[in-house]
Amino acid sequence: MKGPQDLTRPDSQKATGFADAAPLISLKGITKRFGKVVANKDISLDLYPGRIKALLGENGAGKSTLMNMLAGRFKPDEGYIEVDGVRKEFTSSKDAIKAGIGMVYQHFMLVETMTVAENVLLGQEGSFFINPREMNDRVRKLAVDYELEIDPTARISDLSMGEKQRVEILKLLYRESRVLIFDEPTAVLTPREAFRLFEALWAMTRLGKSVVFISHKLEEVMAIADEVAILRRGAIDDEVMRDKITSKADLACRMVGKEVLLEVTKEDVEIGEKVLEVKNMTGIGLRGINLHVRKGEVVAIVGVAGNGQQELVEGVSGLRKPPKDTIFIMNKPWRKFFAEMTWNNSMSYIPEDRLDLATARNLDLVDNLLLTTGKGFTKGPFLQRDKAAKVAQELVEEYDVRPGRIQALAWQLSGGNLQKMVLARELYRQPHLIVAEQPTQGLDISATEEVWNKLLEARKMAGILLITGDLGEAVQLADRVAVMYCGQIMDEFPVTDTAKLDNIGLLMAGVRE
Amino acid sequence: MLESFIVPLLAATVQSGTPILYATLGEILTEKGGILNLGVEGMMSMAAFVAFAVAYTTGNPWLAFICGGLAGTVMAMLHGFVCITCLGNQVVSGLALTILGVGLCNFLGTPFIGLAAPGFSKFAVPVLSSIPYLGKIFFRQDALVYFCYFIPFIFMIFMNRTRLGIAITAVGEKPGAAAAAGLKAVKLRWMALLGGGFLIGLGGAYLSLAYTHLWANGLAGGRGWIAVALVIFAFWRPGRAVFGAYLFGGVMAFQLRLQAIGTHIPSSLLLMLPYALTILVLIFSAVRGRGGNAPSHLGINIEPEG
Repeated sequence: MKGPQDLTRPDSQKATGFADAAPLISLKGITKRFGKVVANKDISLDLYPGRIKALLGENGAGKSTLMNMLAGRFKPDEGYIEVDGVRKEFTSSKDAIKAGIGMVYQHFMLVETMTVAENVLLGQEGSFFINPREMNDRVRKLAVDYELEIDPTARISDLSMGEKQRVEILKLLYRESRVLIFDEPTAVLTPREAFRLFEALWAMTRLGKSVVFISHKLEEVMAIADEVAILRRGAIDDEVMRDKITSKADLACRMVGKEVLLEVTKEDVEIGEKVLEVKNMTGIGLRGINLHVRKGEVVAIVGVAGNGQQELVEGVSGLRKPPKDTIFIMNKPWRKFFAEMTWNNSMSYIPEDRLDLATARNLDLVDNLLLTTGKGFTKGPFLQRDKAAKVAQELVEEYDVRPGRIQALAWQLSGGNLQKMVLARELYRQPHLIVAEQPTQGLDISATEEVWNKLLEARKMAGILLITGDLGEAVQLADRVAVMYCGQIMDEFPVTDTAKLDNIGLLMAGVRE
Repeated sequence: MLESFIVPLLAATVQSGTPILYATLGEILTEKGGILNLGVEGMMSMAAFVAFAVAYTTGNPWLAFICGGLAGTVMAMLHGFVCITCLGNQVVSGLALTILGVGLCNFLGTPFIGLAAPGFSKFAVPVLSSIPYLGKIFFRQDALVYFCYFIPFIFMIFMNRTRLGIAITAVGEKPGAAAAAGLKAVKLRWMALLGGGFLIGLGGAYLSLAYTHLWANGLAGGRGWIAVALVIFAFWRPGRAVFGAYLFGGVMAFQLRLQAIGTHIPSSLLLMLPYALTILVLIFSAVRGRGGNAPSHLGINIEPEG
């Protein structure tokens, strides 16, 4: 059986006759901000009939925000959308649907208690009364026409993920959408279902529909895309035709980018004892991981998102229980370490999700400081909030967290300032091991530089496990680099090994020389 | 026994079940749209009062009946303003609505205590009323009871066979999906809430126009709460709501009759019967594990996005 891994588009599946067509949809200079965070920066993109455009980017690169604007859910702050060369303003999903734009969300937008046919026809104009039999027949015919077999009378809650997705696609086809957006459509599918999806996508391009395929799986993009647009830090970083991409490794390189945005000077620090050791770890989605971090070292884990980095972080930071005798932190087995863990002089975790995992969004900076340092501010059963407030004020000044008020709530801070606050709190704990997950994702250059300098400074007291999707970050900070692919470490080498560093794209794509 | 006790009892059952049925269907409609309205008791009280006052001043019972429904709608608007517009807590708003409705009704109603207003009287439906037993039970009632026979059917057709009904169900289940399909989720919630409020109001109006023609404070007498419980018992289905409403109507009629006959059982124990049954019914529903039938976004406000 064919899976998406060994998949290429057969010639019979090629869409022809749309070579010189004008774009169906053009995005012109779209910018979107959420508060002070710029999610999309001056994005221009053309979508042509009969083509599949892959939108590639790490988590948080701004893919979903961009597509939500196209689907009418958000309004852009700057720029506009053209449909057939005519400028349009979308005020709701309805406008986008009318313009022929349909989206299959990552989390399906289906009403579980209703039938397939009812979901497909939901929101469609028509007579006040409905005739279930006629409705079912119509949906059945549509399903047969597009080879998306499904029983129109089945309840959504009884369907598999693949079938639910088919219902979503039918919804768009029923509305005669011309632009179909798929947000990470294969994330929930089995390989067999994914293959069927691809066939359906090809069938749609042959009918002149334009498909947008959002993904961070390189194989899939290689297999089905006609054009690839790479989104990084909210902006289009690269846009190429599929034919110009020579290999998966080439694509991986384009995705992580190599240009040096910023350089920091790295002083030598004394290397100490091992603070983290992972021995032959297999389980929770990982295979045969061996890794160690010494005090004074930065070890960077790089790779395309979704290749096991998350599992590794969760295992090391104590969120998820690893197999027995695989993880040792400060020379203690995992279970013992977390049982005896103290608030300071142990481990700090800087999560990727700043607003919901690292901080509590509706609490002020003092309470957020106390989240992980609370035990350091107790006297008997009482919390010394005054003392914590004083420390918070000092940290805010030392790390230049703006606005400099400790009464500010976490959500009111920009991404960079919030990250500095998190960093200040975690370093205040004087950790021996720091797990930093995408520490500069979504930050501007100056905030990135400050975070990098702080992390390098922290090497004096701790070893750092850095998980990053940004190769530049790994090169600037790390002593050693480990490349992850499909839950394994492909290779580990010193950052000074430029020969290997040049071929890192191959490793990230799972190719070993 | 049959002729002298059971048949009149069943006829009384239909009569006392009717206001509960109106209110239960109203609450089902509201909850199908995703809004939990615990103000039913207050809405019924206010509707009963408004209907009585209109009947008393104008002498037109049909106008009074409609005004009772509108009183329910106005109360529902208040709930909607708090929950849909201001995104307030639905439970708190509903409870406040009950306290407000019951209190206001007693305050405004006191001058009317003991007064009589024109209402609906019983009449026999030709032909049907001569069916043995059934005729006496079902077809020697007032116009509002006959009207009520049709409502569950209309309700079922509305929810299952009309675009609007399905859209309302979708909004109660998953407002995000409804919005993505191009429906105006907030508007649909308002429609379900106000429509439900109207039906609840009709139930209240029945109490002062047909159940009794005399005004007394506290007419709703817990029927609103029973309706809220019945929605759960009915698993949000109108057919089961009919069964539930008449079951409660039966128990209420039964305890009244038992009191009239003069038993040794203390009347306060008998008065407790409907509420004891409410608890039993809720336990039954919980054991059957059908709480999962509730609309998934019941009681959860739609937050604006973007």
